[in-house]
Formats: sequence, C-alpha cells, structure tokens
Amino acid sequence: MVEVRLEKVTKKFGRVIAVNKVDLVFEDGKFTVLLGPSGSGKSTLLYLVAGIYRPTSGKIFFDDKDVTNLPPRERNVGLVFQNYALYPHMTVYDNIAFPLRLRKEPPEKIDSKVHEVAKLLRIEELLDRFPSQLSGGQQQRVALARALVKEPSVLLLDEPLSNLDALLRLTIRAELKKLQQKLGITAIHVTHDQAEAMSMADKIAVIDQGTLQQVGTPEEVYLKPRNLFVATFIGNPPANTLTGSVQTVDGTVFVEVGSARYQLTEEVSKIVREAGVEKLVVAFRPEHAKIVESPLVDPEGDLVLEGDVYVVEPLGRENIVTLIVAGMPIKVVTPPDVKPHSSSKVYIVVPRNRVMLFDVETGLNIEFLIREIHQKIPD
Amino acid sequence: MQDSRSRASVKSLLKREIGKIRGRLKPPAYRGVWDVETIDRRRLNLLLALVLGLAGLPVFMLYVLLVMSSFANTMLSGPDIFSARYSIENWRMLFEGRLSPAAGQQYTTRDIIMIIVNTLVVALGVTAVVLVVSVMAGYAISRMRFRGRTRLMELMILLHAFPGVALIIAVYAIYVWTLGFIPTENTFAYKSYMMVYTVFARAALEIPMSIWLMKGFFDKIPWEVEWSALVDGASRFKVWREIIIPLVKPGISALAIFAFLAGWEDLIYVHVFLYPEIKTLATFIEEVVGSIETTYLPVVAAAGTLYLLPTILFFVLTQQLLLQALSGGVKA
Repeated sequence: MVEVRLEKVTKKFGRVIAVNKVDLVFEDGKFTVLLGPSGSGKSTLLYLVAGIYRPTSGKIFFDDKDVTNLPPRERNVGLVFQNYALYPHMTVYDNIAFPLRLRKEPPEKIDSKVHEVAKLLRIEELLDRFPSQLSGGQQQRVALARALVKEPSVLLLDEPLSNLDALLRLTIRAELKKLQQKLGITAIHVTHDQAEAMSMADKIAVIDQGTLQQVGTPEEVYLKPRNLFVATFIGNPPANTLTGSVQTVDGTVFVEVGSARYQLTEEVSKIVREAGVEKLVVAFRPEHAKIVESPLVDPEGDLVLEGDVYVVEPLGRENIVTLIVAGMPIKVVTPPDVKPHSSSKVYIVVPRNRVMLFDVETGLNIEFLIREIHQKIPD
Repeated sequence: MQDSRSRASVKSLLKREIGKIRGRLKPPAYRGVWDVETIDRRRLNLLLALVLGLAGLPVFMLYVLLVMSSFANTMLSGPDIFSARYSIENWRMLFEGRLSPAAGQQYTTRDIIMIIVNTLVVALGVTAVVLVVSVMAGYAISRMRFRGRTRLMELMILLHAFPGVALIIAVYAIYVWTLGFIPTENTFAYKSYMMVYTVFARAALEIPMSIWLMKGFFDKIPWEVEWSALVDGASRFKVWREIIIPLVKPGISALAIFAFLAGWEDLIYVHVFLYPEIKTLATFIEEVVGSIETTYLPVVAAAGTLYLLPTILFFVLTQQLLLQALSGGVKA
C-alpha cells in the first residue's frame, strides 16, 4: 500500500484545462472520494493517477517514487470503470487471470489467486461464464476482482456504482467500504453522488472546474464547507442560501436578509470590516432549521426568517417544506408531523452555531476567509 | 433464465388480456383504422415479404435457370426445364477441361484445376493484403492522433470514388515498366511477379473502403476496455493483439468476405495484367463466351455456377455473422 501524492498537477486538453494545479495527498490505506459534478475533472484526475493520462505539468508520487512519467503497467494500480470494461471475448476466469498472465506468473499460482479473489467477492460460480451472461452487479464484482487480483498498491474506482440500480447501489456501497477496510488498501473513488461520497469516504476531496474546492472528512465538508460551491453541492436537499447586505447600526454589524436582521459576532464583524465585505451570503442546512408559528420573543441571536409556505413534500421519515423567503425558495426538513398549510406565514429559526456565512465576491466561507487572508499575507 | 422466461410469458399473457379488454372498450368506428401503432405486425411482415419476393423473382429465376442448366443437356430458358435431361455430365466435363461432349474435339483441353487455383491465389492474396493493411490502418486512424488524420481519411474516400477502370492506365503503365526488370526467361519469377502485382493493384482498390469499415468497428470499442488492459499490464501492441483484435472479429470476417469476393470476381484487372498467361475463372468464362457459336453452353453454365459459388455460399453462411454484434461486458 502506498500514499499517493499530487504536486501542482495540471492537465490540459488543447486549450481546455481539465485539472488545474491540484495539490492533494491520498493517505495510505484510506478511502478517499473525489467528488464533483460531471465535467469537473475528477475522472481526469483519476486517470492521471492511473497513468492513462500524463500531466501537462506537475508531479505524481507513490510514496517517494516519482511515477509521473511511468506507463500504467509499471504503476501497479487496479482500476474499475463505470462501464466495467470487461473483456467480452473472455470468460470471467480469463478476465480475472488476464493481469496475472501478463506478469507471466505460473499457472497454478494464477489459479489459486483467481479462486481466492473470486471467493472474496462471491463470484466463484460465475467463473465459466462470459460477461454478457452476467447482471450489472455481477459484472461489477468481476471488474473489482480483476482490479484486486494483482494486489495493487492503489485501487482506483471510476464511478463504479452509477450503472447499478438504486437498491443494489446501497448494498454494494457498504460492501465496498467493508472490503477496503478489510484489505487496508489505498482507495480513490470518483463519484458525482454526494450521498455515496459521504457514506463511503474517510476523506472527501471536492473538485469543480478542475480546481480543488475542499479536502476534509465527510463531517468537515458537510458542516464546514469552505465555499458556496461545496455548501450547495453537498447535502440533499443542499444548503439554503440567501444574500444580504452588511449594515452597521450603532457600532453593531448586521446582515439584512429580507425583513430579518442577523447580528454578526464580534469576530466576524472585525473581518467584515477589515476585508471591506459589503454583501454576505447567509446559508444553513435544511435540517438545521426549525419552523415555528409565531416569531420568538427572545431569539438569543439565532437567525429568524419570515416566509410563506410554498409546498410540503411528505417523505415518510420526514417532510421537506419549501418556503419563499425574500423571494427565494428555501427548503426545510421537518419531522413528519409538521405540516404547515400552503401559503401560510411561518417563521424559520436557525441556531446561531448552524448559520454559515460566505463572502459574495469570492464565495469563501468567512471562517476560511480569515485563514486564507492570513496565509496569503503573513503578518 | 427459467424465471425470466416464465415472467415474460406471464407478461405477454397479461398483454393479451389487456388487449382484449381494450378491443372491447374501443368504439367500433376506430376498429380497423390503421395508424402506425395499430398495423398488425404479422400482416405488415407478410406484405413486405410479398413485395420483396415479387421484386426479386426475376433475378432469382435467372440464377435458378443457370444452376439448373449446369446439370441439363441444353441451356434452359423457361418451360424446357421439364423436358431437359439432367446429369452431372457437364460438371465432369468441366473438371476434365473439355468444353464439348463431342469426341475428338479440335480445341485444346483447359486445365480447369489450375484456373481455379489461380483464381483462389488472386482472391486469397487480395484478402490477405486488404486485411493486414486495413486492420492496422483502421486501428491507427481510429485510436491514434497524428497530423493530417482527417485529411488522410478524406483523401481515402476520394480515392474510393475513382473507379478501378479509371486508374488502370496508370497502374498498367507502372506494371509494364516494372515488368521490364524481371527476366523473361525465368518463367516462375515472371509469373509470380505478375500475380503479386495484380493482387496488390486489386487490393489497393478495396483498401480505402475497408479502412473506413474497420475504423468504424474499432470506434465502437470503448476506450475503457483498452485502458483497462493497459492498466492490467499489457503493452499497446499486446492490447491490440489480445483485446482489440478479438473484439473486431466480426468486422474482420466481413472484410475478409468482401475482399475475397472482390478478388474472386474481378475481371478487368486479371484480364489486363494476367491474361492470357495466367487465367482465372472470370477470364476463362469470358474466353469461352467469346466463342459462343462453338461452345457447348451447359458446360459454361457449370463454370458460371462454380464462379458464383463463393458468393452464394458466403452470403448464405455469413448473414448471421455480419449481424452479430459485439456485446456484453461493456455497458455503453
């Protein structure tokens, strides 16, 4: 097992920059998920690690070994594609044995290894079949077996679950994570499904337009998104955002959102003043908000918004209530018994510690803004 | 398998029941109105079969008459198929190289076996050259990026637009010029060169289209399969040989058939370059038809049938192969 390290890796296709100066460490034995919308460059990044693409600039290390210019076959990686890419003219057995045969391993050793990995993935009874005779889930296991049989130093997974039906995806998601923990293998998993990323990852790297947006544990990425993109990409439904203007009344700093005023803490006020921020995006997760019928008498500095109920979607376990606040749709996840009437007026309360603030110009979370300003201009 | 089949039958049963109910519910005025959705599939197929059958009948009859004539004692042209006597005499004569049943004929006997061998050499030669060139070039054009790739492909289409006859003068000029360097006294070398030149010239006519065809087959293979093999530890050449080539086998087979038939059937090139030193079936038939007044036609009919045989055989046997698509293991 190795640690994979990218240093200022850039990949251009003609004039299109697919991956832009990415610095990233995939920790040894950890499950890292590359998360991003389609076209964000996440698959390109994976193929760079695999050696299918060569970076335009930058370096890739496996531990301390520079593999930037090594062809894929000298990197010892296992790769599972979204479409599985099994060899249709070979049986399952031959598919799995293919990488071992290329290494010219003795037949008895190949045989025992193939059976071992087939047992691990419970596809032993499929060994004589051809890929076209398998279901999607079975094909996926075979692809995984083929990737694992060569005992790769890194396991690369390119959206391996997206061709499975929703129910199977949930099962395999859990199994894949369990398998990775059991083998202790360094795994890099590419997906656009944020729920999949949250559930499987030890660490999530969010990428958009070829640029790394945030790297962190699922909790960090979810609760402390570095910027607006991460906040609105992760979560289902994603975080609510409302733009407000910064105002100072009697020395205290507020954000005015619609008819509501949200007082900023001393610390944030200082930053806002220093950075000259005039507009802020107030954001919060749908499940952190509460719906109340009447305005609180003593809000204790919590964010209180007035809104009209637009629609209620009951999901059984919970309800999703859509409200219109200051002309913008806001979603709130409520317990199943909260069913306000359509177009009735209600109040949304978000606890102070759940409110996230973003700079409109850079899209950065205010907390990160301080840190990054300090990094850029060391005082 | 069993389960899915039973499920399918349940489904069709349900469909039929639903259909019945719908039929009952449908107002009578709408019954029998044919829009695209309601045309009975079976009736449509019947109609199509009838139209195609009638259109194809004259052509089909010609072939039937030719094949029957090859077994008859006279050239058949219609109702005489009932009065003719049938035997394999014509075929026996053909393989003995006699062109007439009359004893003590004045013409020299033809070495029909040699003619067939010559035809085969040309046909197989063309097949080999076409396959090697177009499988490799098709892969390169489909998978590798190089300068002038699109221009090259356009040029090839342009090349294909020229009929072989239009090119033959230049090709012949080169032929005569190069033949001058081959010693005439060495018959084997001389004849070999003629053969090789003809094969390459004929293959060159097929190659542009074959490359396009092959490119199409290579294009259909997802990059992921190739990448997967590269990651598994194969070199580019190994991937080509062990993964890609087996996947385009249907394409290669189709190509081989077309190339073989092109070589087998060719008349103009073998006539210009090989005749009369080396004869093939095409030039042989041309020759005997040329002296039609003295020729015993049922033997020519046998020769013609022999000449047609590969075409008929291939199209009957390979329909399935040509339709066979590569599938499975790769979800598009």
